[in-house]
Amino acid sequence: MVREEVPVSTRTLQWKCVESRADSKRLYYGRFVLSPLMKGQADTIGIAMRRALLGELEGTCITRAKSDKVPHEYSTVVGIEESVHEILMNLKKMVFRSDLYGTLDASICVRGPRHVTAQDIISPPSVEIVDTTQHIAVLTEPVDLCIELKIERGRGYCTRTQNNYQDGSYPIDAVSMPVRNANHSIHSYGNGNEKQEILFLEIWTNGSLTPKEALYEASRNLIDLFIPFLHAEEQDINRNMEDNLKRASVPFFAFDDGLDNIKREIILKRIFIDQLELPPRTYNCLKRSNIHTLLDLLSKSQEDLMRIEHFRVEDVKQIFDILQKGFTIDLLKNSNQFESR
Amino acid sequence: MLRDGGDEGMFTIPGFSQIQFEGFCRFIDQGLMEELHQFPKIEDTDQEIEFQLFGESYQLVEPLIKERDAVYESITYSSELYVPAGLIWRTGRNMQEQTVLLGNIPLMNSLGTSIVNGIYRIVINQILQSPGIYYSTGLDHNGISVYTGTIISDWGGRSELEIDRKERIWARVSRKQKISILVLSSAMGSSLREILDNVCYPEIFLSFPNEKEKKKIGSKENAILEFYQKFACVGGDPVFSESLCKELQKKFFQQRCELGRIGRRNMNQRLNLDIPPNNTFLLPRDVLAAADHLIGMKFGMGTLDDMNHLKNKRIRSVADLLQDQFGLALVRLENVVRGTICGAIRHKLIPTPRNLVTSTPLTTTYESFFGLHPLSQVLDRTNPLTQIVHGRKSSYLGPGGLTGRTASFRIRDIHPSHYGRICPIDTSEGINVGLIGSLAIHARVGDWGSIETPFYEISERSKEEQMVYLSPSRDEYYMVAAGNSLALTRGIQEEEVGPARYRQEFLTIAWEQIHLRNIYPFQYFSIGASLIPFIEHNDANRALMSSNMQRQAVPLSQSEKCIVGTGLERQAALDSGGSAIAEREGKIIYTDAEKIVLSGNGDTISIPLVMYQRSNKNTWMHQKPQVHRGKYLKKGQILADGAATVGGELALGKNVSVAYMPWEGYNSEDAVLISERLVYDDIYTSFHIRKYEIQTHVTSQGPERITNEIPHLEPYLLRNLDRNGIVMLGSWVETGDVLVGKLTPQTAKESSYAPEDRLLRAILGIQVSTAKETCLKLPIGGRGRVIDVRWGQKKGGSIYNPEMIRVYISQKRKIKVGDKVAGRHGNKGIISKILPRQDMPYLQDGTPVDMVFNPLGVPSRMNVGQMFECSLGLAGDLLGRHYRITPFDERYEQEASRKLVFSELYEASKQTANPWVFEPEYPGKSRIFDGRTGDPFEQPVIIGKSYMLKLIHQVDDKIHGRSSGHYALVTQQPLRGRAKQGGQRVGEMEVWALEGFGVAHILQEMLTYKSDHIRARQEVLGTTIVGGTIPNPEGAPESFRLLVRELRSLSLELNHFLVSEKNFQINRKEV
Repeated sequence: MVREEVPVSTRTLQWKCVESRADSKRLYYGRFVLSPLMKGQADTIGIAMRRALLGELEGTCITRAKSDKVPHEYSTVVGIEESVHEILMNLKKMVFRSDLYGTLDASICVRGPRHVTAQDIISPPSVEIVDTTQHIAVLTEPVDLCIELKIERGRGYCTRTQNNYQDGSYPIDAVSMPVRNANHSIHSYGNGNEKQEILFLEIWTNGSLTPKEALYEASRNLIDLFIPFLHAEEQDINRNMEDNLKRASVPFFAFDDGLDNIKREIILKRIFIDQLELPPRTYNCLKRSNIHTLLDLLSKSQEDLMRIEHFRVEDVKQIFDILQKGFTIDLLKNSNQFESR
Repeated sequence: MLRDGGDEGMFTIPGFSQIQFEGFCRFIDQGLMEELHQFPKIEDTDQEIEFQLFGESYQLVEPLIKERDAVYESITYSSELYVPAGLIWRTGRNMQEQTVLLGNIPLMNSLGTSIVNGIYRIVINQILQSPGIYYSTGLDHNGISVYTGTIISDWGGRSELEIDRKERIWARVSRKQKISILVLSSAMGSSLREILDNVCYPEIFLSFPNEKEKKKIGSKENAILEFYQKFACVGGDPVFSESLCKELQKKFFQQRCELGRIGRRNMNQRLNLDIPPNNTFLLPRDVLAAADHLIGMKFGMGTLDDMNHLKNKRIRSVADLLQDQFGLALVRLENVVRGTICGAIRHKLIPTPRNLVTSTPLTTTYESFFGLHPLSQVLDRTNPLTQIVHGRKSSYLGPGGLTGRTASFRIRDIHPSHYGRICPIDTSEGINVGLIGSLAIHARVGDWGSIETPFYEISERSKEEQMVYLSPSRDEYYMVAAGNSLALTRGIQEEEVGPARYRQEFLTIAWEQIHLRNIYPFQYFSIGASLIPFIEHNDANRALMSSNMQRQAVPLSQSEKCIVGTGLERQAALDSGGSAIAEREGKIIYTDAEKIVLSGNGDTISIPLVMYQRSNKNTWMHQKPQVHRGKYLKKGQILADGAATVGGELALGKNVSVAYMPWEGYNSEDAVLISERLVYDDIYTSFHIRKYEIQTHVTSQGPERITNEIPHLEPYLLRNLDRNGIVMLGSWVETGDVLVGKLTPQTAKESSYAPEDRLLRAILGIQVSTAKETCLKLPIGGRGRVIDVRWGQKKGGSIYNPEMIRVYISQKRKIKVGDKVAGRHGNKGIISKILPRQDMPYLQDGTPVDMVFNPLGVPSRMNVGQMFECSLGLAGDLLGRHYRITPFDERYEQEASRKLVFSELYEASKQTANPWVFEPEYPGKSRIFDGRTGDPFEQPVIIGKSYMLKLIHQVDDKIHGRSSGHYALVTQQPLRGRAKQGGQRVGEMEVWALEGFGVAHILQEMLTYKSDHIRARQEVLGTTIVGGTIPNPEGAPESFRLLVRELRSLSLELNHFLVSEKNFQINRKEV
């Protein structure tokens, strides 16, 4: 444990970066200090921050690769030292720095003989390659290596199902975890009953963001999670308790007017129609017409919905009912207002 | 005593597949010749023509194809045997000589395996009781000690001589009957005079025959008659005849009295006889000498034999088995030649040697030997270790040996003579425990089939120590220093003593009296056991499990060397043949994933690499190039690492950080809690390649067709088929998808359809199909990428050639709940939960641990080695060191292992400035925190890095459920087994549980609809389709009747009665 005396003022809560270094392009280290804290507070913040750093941060990575000449991922290409699978595994390890939302396309197009590294990835300007020396493949003969890539931003880890893609592209199990490790330690000082604590936070990142940025991101994500509680009272006045139970899982609509449109849009984008518990038929119809999130749904008017194949008036009504009950959104009124706002 | 000539090689461990390969060479060099020499000259009935083989100039031809091609094409990798043969006409006195093809002999490769029909096979060494005579004592049914001498023949047949308390000597001829020794000897052809002349105690022989018996031994005929009567257990008075004599000869003397060369030698040694070694049959002299010894035993002279001593065992290796088969084939050939000569003469044809000899007897003999003999097994190729260990097995089972069910406890036990020959640890678990062993590292098969182990000879005369190989009969007479404590202080008289073995006992002996010392701490152990670090701290039972479980480890997609090892990893990987080795020196001029091109000495060789191949346990085999273009190589350098090898070292698992603590009950009873990191970082990801095959046949309606037009199936299932109806390379397939579309022609019979079906067809105008679909569909649980499709035509005799299609599907499996993991100390467990990394307990520097084990799994299992490994692993991980520790380092000083581990931990703690790594109050333990709350756990916890393996027992292969399915034809109960979509048995105890809790409906369902109540079962199906309430079953099925009878045995009568309304007559109905 780190036990160092750091001079801090005893009045206002302050944080400070004590140590910051980059061990390599893909290993950053930072140590932060937060003080003064009352007894017990350091633990509350420390564990929450550690968990947020490890679990809540988003990262950017390659989720899909496609190459035309390759029959399958367990095959080899003449003139390349790695097998296709090994190249995919190398691509999985690529680290990017970006703040994009949605998917982006990138590609690799090189001709051998040469050493292919991350530098050879041709990516849109919004995506920055952190470590350009990261190894991808070794071409020993004058052969072409062309790979189309899809870059996505995501959180945590998800396994891709393979079956839907028969177009010769290979999914890569993306691991978007920018923080390698995080630790917190508590140092208490003071005498008698007036004990105070200092919180040390250590953060190791993979280079896609600096420890300072990671700290910022993590605290923002953490605060976002607490926002509903700030508005808890407001909700209780408007609605009775029974409704609330249902809404607890979707707390985003508490701040109807208070927050700006962009925030609201992002939140609506995050609610998928799967969460509305629609009947399967309705659900399938919506899915087929590319309505995936609540935002998509709200941007459609009633007429738009009626135009969907196999969609009946009852279904539209049902959707309205659900929205009204669950989100207090009146689609009829809302649909056009929303755009104008 | 055999001295090893080369002093150079004395410090190296012999090649692990050497035992097999040497055996094969012995067969080729000696065995072939011996058997060919015994081939007799064959004459025809008129003795005009004589046929003979000139065995001394035989030729083995190098095979035309390569090993790899033989595997690919599913054929045998064999070499043709040519022998010059001569045909001599007695009348003309001229000889015709031709070289004839005797047949094919499957060859062995350098790994000790043979390729038969494209499958790697290995012949296991068999341990047999050495032929000879063994004296033992036992109690008869009256509790009186009886001495017996058991004569064991070369084929394993036994006959016993015994002496009873009246000092009569009997020979047991069958299980119940025994005959006097005199009858036996006279039946074998000695007269009473000869008998009495040749024995030491004639008075005992003379004392017991009464008048009747004297008559029996009077002549050979009478003796044989008596013998036969007792042997065949027939009453009455058989008459002496030639056939009777022959039968006795065949059934008794040939099976039980052929000693063979080894038997003759043993017999001579044991009974102090000097019968020449070519007399391989039991002689009357042997019997009499044996009887003499028996009398001596009775009087307390001589020593009893220990049947389980290794000196009384012999190894029947590949050489002997192949030689036996070769002899058998030659006998068959002889019969064929004899028949053909006679036939040719009869038809007035002039035969040539080539006409007479066919290659079928030899070829078919070997094919059936490799295919059917219990000792010829398919090479287990789960991982490289499995491959080498398989060839070093020694088995008591097999023809002429024991069976698992009947073998006694004593034979399964460890014997002092096993030292350095057969591993005391490595054996199978279960019914064959102790019967299938493993040869120790340094053991070799010597002359006469004995197992030899090397020692250093300590002699006064020469300063240099010499290595000698000793057979088990020899080393007992020497004092062998055990090597479990090293003499460090010289000069003090009292301390110049050390522990030593002498005649199966451990003694403390002065240094100057010691003759031999062991050469190596590993000398006791087999390969599997010697790969366990700190094995001396483990209980033998757990070490046994470990050596078995290491063989079940799945090669992982990215292997990793162990931090703590024993130093044998390199040779194990090298000898397994998993990695590609440079056969000569040279320069790399080209590399890619498929091949490496090496140039040296003016020519270039291309070394093809193994690419994503399937082993017979469905694991993957793959080689990754480790050299780069332009590099110069030396001979023996590693070109490419195989699966589960890294840098030429065996790497079966991964180093993961572990903690020994309970965690919410998720690791109780050997369950293991793991971090999600092991899933997403592909730490325990493995590939599994499965083979699916289908063949086309010819039916009475015509040949089957392979096509992509299958009207019976939805187009979705056929989406992966190409034009020919075979799945496309590289397509992703799921359960139920069609891999090969096949149609079987069928006569369109209207009557075969149900009436409603026919109506539907008539309405909709569907043509009656003339074919039935018999497609190859991906079975349940299968999914993956098609990586290879092979389409081969078998050469059929008729016009139609059956086609064989094989589809290879590769699956990538991450670790998941239900998989089995194990360490190297017999600590095994099942994954019970996968936690996100922030929820795992974390160390003081914030690193979450990867696996959490239950500490209660250690004390009762007594495998403390895992603790040492775990702590030393942590030190090695922090310091960047790898440790290779030979077992029994305690001989240097007391507590040597602990000192090493703690000193390394201390250094790691100092170097990395992490005080928590070594805390003197609780060394090896550390305070760690709960990832969910951040609270420190109550007690310090042992943390460290262990080498953990993922075993082949995986849920994906085992998970299974059934809602409906097939029923067995006879019992009408659900089938058993996952492969057949079987049900889970609701056994007695399960029924009791249902009864006990009173869950009547479930019980009824289990006993009726789901079991053998056929009517109810069919009604359920009908009603579920129509949609209605399921009727109650009428009548009782057999399983219910059983329940009623069980209740009756608890004095509960369950019956039903019908009371007539008219006359109140009670009509009892039996349930």
